[in-house]
Amino acid sequence: MIKRVEVNYRGIFQKNLGKKIGSDIVMIASRMGQKAFSNGRYSDSPERNGIPCKYFAFVSPDLAEEELEAECGAKLEIDEANISVVLDDTMCKGVEPWGWHGIRPINERVVKDGCLLVFSRKSHDELLKFIGKKPYSYRLAILDGDASLAGLWVNKDDLTHERTLGGIAAIDPSVISIEAVEAYLLEKTKDKRRADAARAAYESLRQEAKPPRVQTVTPNEGIDWMHEIPVLPKWFEMQEGAVVPAVKRGFEMGPRGQTRNPGFKRGTTKTQRPAVRFDLCTKCTLCWAECPDECFDPTTDGFYDIDYQYCVGCGKCAQVCPVKECIVMVDELRFEDDSSPWEHWKKDSQDYIQWVEDKKGKDRVSYPVVTGKGMTVTQGEVMPEGKIVPVRRTEEVEV
Amino acid sequence: MSVAIATAKSDQSDGVYEREDLLNGCQAVAQGVCLADVDVIAAYPIRPYTEVMDALSKLIADGKFDAEYIIADSEHSQFEIVKHASSVNARAFGGSSGTGWMYGMEALVVTATDRLPPLFVVGNRALDDPGAFGVEHNDAMAVRDMGWLLCWVTTPQEALEHVLIGYRIAEDKKVRMPMGLAMDGAFLTHSQHMVKIPSVEAAKKFLPQYDLAERRLHPDNPISVAPQANEDWVMEIRRQNWEAAKRARGVIKDAYKEFNDIFGDRYAAPYYFDEFMTDDAEVVLIGVGTVASPARTAVRRLREKGQKVGYVNLRWFRPFPTVELRDSLSRFKAVGVVDRDFAHGSPDNCGILMHEVRSCLYPAKNRPAIVNFMGGLGGRDLSIADAQKMYDITQQAAKNDSMDEFVTWIGLRE
Amino acid sequence: MSTAPTIDYEKIKGVHKIPLEELYTSGHRTCQGCESATTMRGFIKSAGSRTVVTGATGCMYVANTSYMTTPWIVPWMHTQLGAGGSSAVGMAAGLRALKRKGKIKDEKINVINFSGDLGAGDMGIGGISAALQSDYDLLIIMYDNESAANTDIQATGSTTYGAQTTFTPPGTKHSIMQRRWKKNVAGMLAVGHPTCRYVATACATFPPTDYLNKVRKALEIGGPTFIHTYDPCPKGWDYHPRYSNELGELGIKCGIYPLYEVVDGNVIYTWDARKSGKGRIPVKEFISKQG
Repeated sequence: MIKRVEVNYRGIFQKNLGKKIGSDIVMIASRMGQKAFSNGRYSDSPERNGIPCKYFAFVSPDLAEEELEAECGAKLEIDEANISVVLDDTMCKGVEPWGWHGIRPINERVVKDGCLLVFSRKSHDELLKFIGKKPYSYRLAILDGDASLAGLWVNKDDLTHERTLGGIAAIDPSVISIEAVEAYLLEKTKDKRRADAARAAYESLRQEAKPPRVQTVTPNEGIDWMHEIPVLPKWFEMQEGAVVPAVKRGFEMGPRGQTRNPGFKRGTTKTQRPAVRFDLCTKCTLCWAECPDECFDPTTDGFYDIDYQYCVGCGKCAQVCPVKECIVMVDELRFEDDSSPWEHWKKDSQDYIQWVEDKKGKDRVSYPVVTGKGMTVTQGEVMPEGKIVPVRRTEEVEV
Repeated sequence: MSVAIATAKSDQSDGVYEREDLLNGCQAVAQGVCLADVDVIAAYPIRPYTEVMDALSKLIADGKFDAEYIIADSEHSQFEIVKHASSVNARAFGGSSGTGWMYGMEALVVTATDRLPPLFVVGNRALDDPGAFGVEHNDAMAVRDMGWLLCWVTTPQEALEHVLIGYRIAEDKKVRMPMGLAMDGAFLTHSQHMVKIPSVEAAKKFLPQYDLAERRLHPDNPISVAPQANEDWVMEIRRQNWEAAKRARGVIKDAYKEFNDIFGDRYAAPYYFDEFMTDDAEVVLIGVGTVASPARTAVRRLREKGQKVGYVNLRWFRPFPTVELRDSLSRFKAVGVVDRDFAHGSPDNCGILMHEVRSCLYPAKNRPAIVNFMGGLGGRDLSIADAQKMYDITQQAAKNDSMDEFVTWIGLRE
Repeated sequence: MSTAPTIDYEKIKGVHKIPLEELYTSGHRTCQGCESATTMRGFIKSAGSRTVVTGATGCMYVANTSYMTTPWIVPWMHTQLGAGGSSAVGMAAGLRALKRKGKIKDEKINVINFSGDLGAGDMGIGGISAALQSDYDLLIIMYDNESAANTDIQATGSTTYGAQTTFTPPGTKHSIMQRRWKKNVAGMLAVGHPTCRYVATACATFPPTDYLNKVRKALEIGGPTFIHTYDPCPKGWDYHPRYSNELGELGIKCGIYPLYEVVDGNVIYTWDARKSGKGRIPVKEFISKQG
């Protein structure tokens, strides 16, 4: 018997976290007398900030290590997962790590009666608005919390690592038991707080816990997956000399007037997206000029529409925007589709303003410069239509 | 199989040769490059191939040839310049010797995987250390598995002609692989012979313009070349290159036929190799490069004594003429393989050519006895007497296929 | 010297005059907030479509393209890590020969190579030096994120003193493993190459349009030219991606990264930290914002 655990994480921000979880599953399962090993999906490397990546851990009570390695280790991607951990709930919208991979459902690898374990503040129903249907039943477990996003050098020690181990123990004690998790954490860190965090996560996912955090997802729950999974061409269908046709040249004003790479959209990289109040826009061009992903489409009336399919949610546009409340980064899960915000605004500006303010809500998350150093949440305000409040002056430099 | 020495028959066509001149191997290659109307040349000095570049720069200085001539800062840069010139649809030429060739190895690898068809001359030279100028074949052979065309010539006349033939094959749209034209350092690069120089018209008639077509890098043809690939793609790309190397065999034949049509019957089928006095031979030697001369002379002398010996001069090393050579060699009782290279610690401690020939013969129904000779390393000469000794040993092998000494070093002080 | 055709570039006066069309477009595998992507986007916007580009191995090769796709609209080709200079020479030479021999139309085609600091500043510096000695029209852009960012941040010759990288981790015995001072690549290339009429340092986003105009100036002056760009890297410098432009700005304002041009041997400071506002800001303001 083999138990496969998959950890879906955000490139770089959660690189160390994903690896730590994988490593500790191996350490704990080994102490329980099982054979186990762990690896990452090699093609994710070199990792990029935000791009969906995977780490794996494999555990078996009865197989020899070599057999376990042969079953699980000789592959770059696994076919099935008993537990799929999702360290950032915005990945529920699908994951696309590289070109020609397609946007895949987050539960793609989850087996029958397996479990999708998500860190989220959302409810089961809210998450299932984004997750694809499966032909069989599986479990959806939610560990209450925000995505832990740190950096390559800065570790954000917010106990997500310990809580994940406790959560896995609750879902399938045959992978790692909560007693083994606690004993391991205590021995390794001499810090009771860490064992307690694992235990609390474990308790929150038990059947008798209130409210219930583990729910069975039946075959008709979830959405019909709308993204096509590409079929890779055969060797004779590819151009020789490793040649690829360039993106066709094309530009016109307006939504999606710029041609873009059709083989690799980048939208699943983002955890937040920029929400724009066009009525506050001063047409300063900075969001467009500073976008490293060329997502802004200039419109004939001097605004900049956004192609959310390609936006990676870096937040540069919100940062450089000189007007208060004009561009605000908003949780990606508040949006159902990638349609053009400018078109919406043009169609009905009042309706748009109301819609976008509704999406923005009141919470404004601001990040310190250094990643992983926590964040502050402040209250936002609704700007009356057309009320332009400068927040920073961009230095005018004549070159 | 006919007896064919390339230089022996040449005078059938009138007007295709412009004049005759005394040229060494390097100068002959330079003439070939000139006739091929090469667009970009990148030079970097290393003996013995350097004289090719010396000759080309003089041709340009004298206004006899029009090409961009770039003095590179290293072999790596030199080969990269050639590769990228080739990518924009310019016919490009480079070359090197010995460790210089190895210094640019990274560029040589990607030229092949990008499937670009420039031509490089390799004036074979021993690898350092110690620094030595003499011939050894390990340098050129280092690209044998990378997707290169690789052939050895034995005379300045062949050297000149194979610049044209080489571009013709390499640039064929069925092939598009880089071409390595190898010639023995000193013995060929610096040996002067009378060479017939083709006319510009004849050369032009034989060698069409280089056209990379849909793969050329130009603003009118926007493409991306060699994006980063993960494991979803590389195997398919390798297969494409594998097929191209296979297809090259047919294109080589076509190219020689076309060459013969214009320049007279210069080369005999099967083109990939020449056989000398093999019709009724029982024992042959096979080798590449200038060892052909002493070997063939030894054959003549041994024939006078009634010994049934012959010589096979292997011209094309990549693609390897597997079927043709297997058919040919399996006629004999014993084959002696002459290696001017080394492959230390390899199976039976043989040389590279031995491994190739032996592997090629494995599926043959009648496998001849086979022995290996290591000789002429670091530029040491291989004499007629050496060749006779090799024939003696191979003839013994024909009688006794279980010799203790599988590899014999020739010309070693021991 | 040459009667070769040229492209007349207008100076971009202000952000509103930046060309709208992208020639390096969405769909590249770069990090969130990648400043180097902005560098790529900018140079090709400035240069226009009659351009061929080579990209040396490095972050912006591996990140930029994900086979069988590409973000490039203009012709682009990979070149080896140390081959930035030679790839540009090869293409420029090929194009010149073909034009002279009438095999292609005689028009100005820009040849641009981009290499990272590891490729251009360390491994390929010999090739770039040779390229700057040539008389070909080519531009080499060294995008400097001060590390081998592709392989998860290793120190290069352009890494600053004291920086933590995976090759220079702090330890219990040695708290500083990076004990080399940052190499002055632009300065070194500027002084040593009489044929090279234009060397500049720049940052893709600060001051706005400065970099774009430097690219145009380099292409207009002709011959071999070199631009060293300063590219904050959220992955390696460990800051939140939204602050990419700010980090570049701070690096320039504190004077760690001076912006200048060397035109025919004359040094011109294009943005002088000493003369802006209240003068140079403390370096601490810049350093403390990195992980």
